[in-house]
Amino acid sequence: MSTLHPAGPAAAVIATLWWVLLAGATVICLFVAALLVWAWRRPPGATDERRFVIGLGLGLPLVVLSALLAYGVVVGERLLPRAAPEVVTVHAEARQWAWRFAYDDAPGRETEDILHIPAGRPVDVAITTADVVHSFWVPRLAGKLDAVPGHVNTLRIEAYAPGRYQGLSAEFSGRGYRDHGFEVIAHDAADWQAFVTGETP
Amino acid sequence: MTSILRIALPLTLWLAGFSAIYGLHGLLCSSRWAVAGDDLPGRGLLIAAAAVVLVLQVALIGVLRSSIWSASDPVIRHISLGLGVVALVSSVWTLMPVLTVSHCL
Amino acid sequence: MNALRRHRALTRIWASDPGWKGWFTSVNHTDLGRMFLTVATFFFVVGGLLAMLIRAQLATPRSAFLGPDHYNQIFTMHGTIMMFLFAIPFFEGLAVYLLPKLLGTRDLAFPRLTAYGFWCYVFGGGMMIFALLAGLAPDSGWFMYPPLSSTLGAPGINPDFWLIGITFVEISAIAAAVEITVTVLRYRAPGMKLSQMPIFAWYALVTAVMILTGFPPLILGSILLELERAFGLPFFQVAQGGDALLWQHLFWLFGHPEVYIIFLPAAGAISTILPVMARTRLMGYGWIVAAAVSLAVLSFGLWVHHMFTTGIPHMGLAFFSAASTLVAVPTAVQIFAWIGTIAKGRPQLHLPMLWLLAFFATFVIGGLTGVMVAIVPFDWQAHDTYFIVAHLHYVLVGGFVFPMLAALYYWMPHFTGRRTYFKLGPTAFWLVFCGFHGTFLLLHWAGLMGMRRRIDTFDLGQGWELINLIASVSSFVMAIGFALVLVDVAINALVAIRGSRDPWGAGTLEWAMTTPPPAYNFASLPQIGSRDPLYDTPDLPAQLARGEGYLGDPSRNRRETLTIDIASARPRYIVVFPGNTALPVVMSAVTGLFFLGMLLKAYWLVPISALGVIACALHWVWSLGRSRPEGPLPAGRGLSLGTAAEASDPPGWWGSLFLLLADGTFFGSLLFGYAFLWTVAPNWPPASYAEPGFPGALLVLGGAGLTVIGARLSLTVAALGLGLMMAAGVILLTEVPDSVAHAYDATVWVLVGYGLLHQAVCLLMTALVAARQQAGHAPATLYGARRVLRLWCSYTVLTSLVIAAAAGLPGALS
Repeated sequence: MSTLHPAGPAAAVIATLWWVLLAGATVICLFVAALLVWAWRRPPGATDERRFVIGLGLGLPLVVLSALLAYGVVVGERLLPRAAPEVVTVHAEARQWAWRFAYDDAPGRETEDILHIPAGRPVDVAITTADVVHSFWVPRLAGKLDAVPGHVNTLRIEAYAPGRYQGLSAEFSGRGYRDHGFEVIAHDAADWQAFVTGETP
Repeated sequence: MTSILRIALPLTLWLAGFSAIYGLHGLLCSSRWAVAGDDLPGRGLLIAAAAVVLVLQVALIGVLRSSIWSASDPVIRHISLGLGVVALVSSVWTLMPVLTVSHCL
Repeated sequence: MNALRRHRALTRIWASDPGWKGWFTSVNHTDLGRMFLTVATFFFVVGGLLAMLIRAQLATPRSAFLGPDHYNQIFTMHGTIMMFLFAIPFFEGLAVYLLPKLLGTRDLAFPRLTAYGFWCYVFGGGMMIFALLAGLAPDSGWFMYPPLSSTLGAPGINPDFWLIGITFVEISAIAAAVEITVTVLRYRAPGMKLSQMPIFAWYALVTAVMILTGFPPLILGSILLELERAFGLPFFQVAQGGDALLWQHLFWLFGHPEVYIIFLPAAGAISTILPVMARTRLMGYGWIVAAAVSLAVLSFGLWVHHMFTTGIPHMGLAFFSAASTLVAVPTAVQIFAWIGTIAKGRPQLHLPMLWLLAFFATFVIGGLTGVMVAIVPFDWQAHDTYFIVAHLHYVLVGGFVFPMLAALYYWMPHFTGRRTYFKLGPTAFWLVFCGFHGTFLLLHWAGLMGMRRRIDTFDLGQGWELINLIASVSSFVMAIGFALVLVDVAINALVAIRGSRDPWGAGTLEWAMTTPPPAYNFASLPQIGSRDPLYDTPDLPAQLARGEGYLGDPSRNRRETLTIDIASARPRYIVVFPGNTALPVVMSAVTGLFFLGMLLKAYWLVPISALGVIACALHWVWSLGRSRPEGPLPAGRGLSLGTAAEASDPPGWWGSLFLLLADGTFFGSLLFGYAFLWTVAPNWPPASYAEPGFPGALLVLGGAGLTVIGARLSLTVAALGLGLMMAAGVILLTEVPDSVAHAYDATVWVLVGYGLLHQAVCLLMTALVAARQQAGHAPATLYGARRVLRLWCSYTVLTSLVIAAAAGLPGALS
């Protein structure tokens, strides 16, 4: 269930984002370390205050951060649950300590602790809770979104390929928190059709 | 006390403007108040509000520079002017999303 | 009078009571600073032991060492203790000990308040420790999200310990913050302009103001949640118009500034110690002040970044993502100014410097991961995983504990007057440093591999086993390192040889006294003309000891110090401090009974102890009064000054002003909560709004008018006005008889309760001034008290009008 082993577009762009962040952070970290070593070994004497405070303190972070912020916002925009003809809507209701899922495409159909989705199609999960705050998280498919009492939050997930993906509740919820998870089963088109029409249990 | 106010005011103004615009955005997007829920009027309102905040920030820098409110201590004067600029840049930076980001998704 | 006789005379005046009694009656900031630091260290050890239990449990998969019931209490208490009972009090202790010495004065502005705050901290902390030992500790995580922490998720007493105990402890934070603010602004040595303050004083001032504006939202949240738990007022219950998200907003409105409240004092210590270690002066003083102020205010606009996964629209998240990245800029300014300071000087690798290098190595990584989680999509994955756990430990240990260890080793010679003699320090350093990175560096990775925080154990085969084993082993190495630090400090404090007065060659005033410091700090108070007075006047300590400064004459036989004008730093008046007294410890014990009554639901105890607190407070304030003016008194160096009792802006007025700043933030948070529920909570509007009629409005407006006029002219009229406003409040409550019906009704009850409380306090203050008039106090010595009363009345009138509008408007509009 590693976020770095993505199985869907949302998790994939975030994994890429992470590698970029890691590379950038490593470079900056090494730069600061080198600067510190240089500062330590340098013979004492006048230094240009403006170079340190304005150049390195203000200039450098503003440039790096504006690029990063723009990147983050663009990625964030891509992951939003925008309306599209392909989209499948499912409902997730958490409680201590189980998940119940319902499906717009199969009215009346409910599953417990197993979420069925079609592979290769965007799925909007409408998340809410019956008791305390929980969080819906399938690390290999997308980021997490909380289940808040009285609110319905919508998360866009998608799996590239049919398969089983582990889902977790990611907001502490008391004694049963550790094992409060679920499983996502992504079906190919035929299996999904069978699920929706009720041919498979 | 005026020295302290000179230093505290610029970013406090940023905080007030920033929080107010966040609150306005929450209001515009909440299901019960969706009068301006579709993009244009809501975004227009947010942009107008952000513009007001920026104008206020510029005006504050003017006041801090002017002789109406003189500082007895040159170091304090420099710090407060610097913070005026910081507050203006902060306002531009943090309110940028009203122009660039999806509104209520 | 020679220096030795002056020393003896001043010591007799300022010394604490001898023996064990002195522990309870001391109001001296040096004693209380040391006591704060000792108790905070005790809580660090307790929190550390809990951390060891956590790491022992997580060392291997499927561990059966602790079950979830115990584990949940342990991690909740680890976070709670480290944040509330270690970090904040440790800063308070350091500031209480150092500030008067750095600023060139003899004590903090309100010595009895220091002691009161300290004892509230001890008693409140004691409640938490009791809960831990009794197995009743809170177990909902240190941020206590309802409904899990409310009656639905936790019907037992556990969360009540948190809500009531922590609120009790927060009294000490607010007290210390008021104290620090007034001291930095008014109690500096004559001539020390704001721009000449030691840099630590700027950081302390900024931090104190942050505490005054950052803690009230949490205090409010705790009160609301406790009201929900104890009496069913449904602030966080969605079915009755509440919203669980309100708690998250209030908590993080406090919680994010809290991080900077912890970091800024450490940055202050770094800015003080680093230049001395590098044998130079700090680079970019003005820039660093501006950066500290920017960091402080920006940190109040970041709270939603703890809530990126709660379903807020993307534009809202983008605002806070932008603000969260921006806050890295002032941090970078400070980091590079410090590196520039090292470049400028000739750094020496003493033990404090070693810890500062550990700070750089650790905090830079923590800051960079902080920028990562400020990027919204990444946070969606990292949130609530071990990535966050690792990040926050890098920031808090790197940004607070390491600098504080530098500070400890730097000021040890000052605390004890001894040289560092035994060389355990470097060994301890390497154990802690390597242990720390061994524990937390790889945990980032575990988080990315899906390890959620707060799970009590994990299954084999997820790729986390080795990481967790390394983390656990390293954490025990780190613990051994910390234990060695304690041993090192204890040995050096007890048996090392006497050291010289200024072992590091620093330029700030705390080194202008003998060490360990005398009870009175300075035999006479200096006239300051620069930022590093000891560099410019190396002879200053001797001059002060010879009594060549201000107030060097002890013949008035009482504890005296000077206040100055904020901007010009010219001397204003002489303050006469109270002597040793048990009043603070008694009053905090009675305050403790109040909280205990709430906790145990022994509600008969609550009004009794409230009366007890009022009695103590009246006694406290009464003893400040002087019946006859003294006129100008000689203050040394040819200067004559009046005393605080005759000043138009006595210290009490300034204390009230900053207390009201905190109070106003509390009130503002309450209004925010009301507006939030009104606009966002799902089940609004309520069945009906209160519709107060014309008589109610007349009572409020009439009462407000009379109070304003009366506060200036006639105490009787003021009392009448306050009474009318109270009557209006009671009438309003009859309009919403059932406080548990809907969050609206509950909010009106709290708003009106807030108004009634303030009106009652003003009524008491009016009675006190009247009693002093009756007792024949001269108008000159009553002037300051009347101005304090006027300040409180103005605030109360203002808030009462807002309350009336907030409670009545919805009904009038609908």
